[in-house]
Amino acid sequence: MLEIKNLMVFYENAIAINNINMKCEGGKVTGIFGANSAGKSTLMYTISGIILDVKKKEEMKGGERITILGNIIFEGTDITYLKPSERAKKGIILCPERRRIFAESSTLENLKIGAYLATKTQAKKTLEYIYTIFPPLKNLKSREGGFLSGGEQQMLAIGRALMAQPKLLLLDEPLLGLSPMMEGMLARSIHDINLQTGITILISEQYARPILPIVHHGYVLENGGAVLEGSSQELMENPDVKSAYFGL
Amino acid sequence: MSRETSTIQRRKERLDRGIKVRTEGLYALTSWREMFYLLVPRTLLIFGLLLSPFFLEMYWQRVLCQAGIYALLALGFDFLAEYVGLVCLGGAFFIGSGAYLSGLLNAKLGWAPFFTIPIATVAGAVISTLVLLPCLRLRGIYFAIISFMFPLLTVYIIIALNIFGGTEGITALATFPNIWVDQYLILGGVIIALFALRRLVTEDIGLILRSIKDNDQAVKASGISITSYKTKAVFIAALLGCFGGAYLSHLYGWVGISQFALDYSILPIAATVMGGMGTLVGPVIGAFILTPLSEALRGFGQMRVVVYCLILIGFIVYKPEGLMNVLQRKYHQFEHWEEV
Repeated sequence: MLEIKNLMVFYENAIAINNINMKCEGGKVTGIFGANSAGKSTLMYTISGIILDVKKKEEMKGGERITILGNIIFEGTDITYLKPSERAKKGIILCPERRRIFAESSTLENLKIGAYLATKTQAKKTLEYIYTIFPPLKNLKSREGGFLSGGEQQMLAIGRALMAQPKLLLLDEPLLGLSPMMEGMLARSIHDINLQTGITILISEQYARPILPIVHHGYVLENGGAVLEGSSQELMENPDVKSAYFGL
Repeated sequence: MSRETSTIQRRKERLDRGIKVRTEGLYALTSWREMFYLLVPRTLLIFGLLLSPFFLEMYWQRVLCQAGIYALLALGFDFLAEYVGLVCLGGAFFIGSGAYLSGLLNAKLGWAPFFTIPIATVAGAVISTLVLLPCLRLRGIYFAIISFMFPLLTVYIIIALNIFGGTEGITALATFPNIWVDQYLILGGVIIALFALRRLVTEDIGLILRSIKDNDQAVKASGISITSYKTKAVFIAALLGCFGGAYLSHLYGWVGISQFALDYSILPIAATVMGGMGTLVGPVIGAFILTPLSEALRGFGQMRVVVYCLILIGFIVYKPEGLMNVLQRKYHQFEHWEEV
């Protein structure tokens, strides 16, 4: 579904992503694991196209020059230089790091904003689905986004992304700053979303323990390069992954 | 995908010049070349400013004096906006208070300009700071609005109470002996202010001020009173403006409500944007380009403002980083293509 070929991203002279090749198969969950500064977020921004926006802004104020080389192919077409909004229309939806929900809009409004690309019936159906998968949101319909707890905000952010009818859902650090219980619950929800709707999901996460069991295929990034790849089972049994991410 | 099938790709690499790195420390003193590298841009600016009166006609010499006042205001604006995080549109208030104080001292007490200017500079800055003190807790657009209101407010107070000469202002003030004093007073002021501010922002106080701009809560958490530092910063910026105002009153021998004109609040912003925000020298150069430009465009009559605006819009759209940021980068860095 998504294929990345020889992708390189430079921030000025520093290399953030070094020659990454990866594939995301349709209907599966793919994981990207790595420590801070491994290039996870940059990869997510590059796939969703946000990086083109950052690049433009940096150019305007004469800051860092961002260079993107290589190809990103989504469903057979090259989207490397496509605008972020066009990519969203194609079905690549990013659920951004640190959630970025609209703090002054209510929960329901946040979800409705997400449904800009959906038809009315789609939006209604998805809204009901979100309430079944994240029941807490149902009771918080009129609460302002800024007053939600971290876990509720994350549910809302995933819900908002789902409202846009994604084909490929990009989750950038969905477990950031959550309690272990909440992490387990969210990981199960993500798994359910994939099973019930068949949406292809790409998760980047540095805390691999709750996520590793639910991915079908995973990549481990280090300093911008993919150092390891394999199925969930292979990764979990790998001694390096064990020591780095499970502390065994 | 194998590397052989993909075409060779290139990217532009931007590197600091070796000499730039060498001149950042004490090592700059090791050779003439390094010292020249540091001195050339600064000497160009200083001598460019100091020698310019010799190449100008009488009319343009007057314009130069006016440009110097705008340069001081732009310098103060850039300092407050980029190093303290206060967008101050009170340039007209600084000019006005400096001008009126100096004018009153000269007219009522009969003091000579060389006494009134320093006194009006300091006293005007104190007044401006006191007036702005209650608003220092505000940030961003709110501070901008409040500081924008003060010049308007003062004009109407003067008109309503008919004090300080009312709408006619105070006339027949002492002027400077000749045009050379006019020019070198303001040029000297600009150069001293520029280099003093550049030094100031790299000292400890500059560090604190920049931190206040980035995150004032973190600064408070470090046990520093941000209000006292903001007050000092506003006082410094007001000093520049009030000096410009006091000078202006003796330049024309006249003080009036037009010295609270909004030009003094707005044009420095344009100069700062054109010259490059945050460079300090940029706004000065911007002012010395924009003021003569606006004079030169007088030939266009009413179209003058349109042409002026088009030039500004062009700058903001195509070079929003400003002239000085571009020049500095070209001077300090070089680019080359690199294959990846």
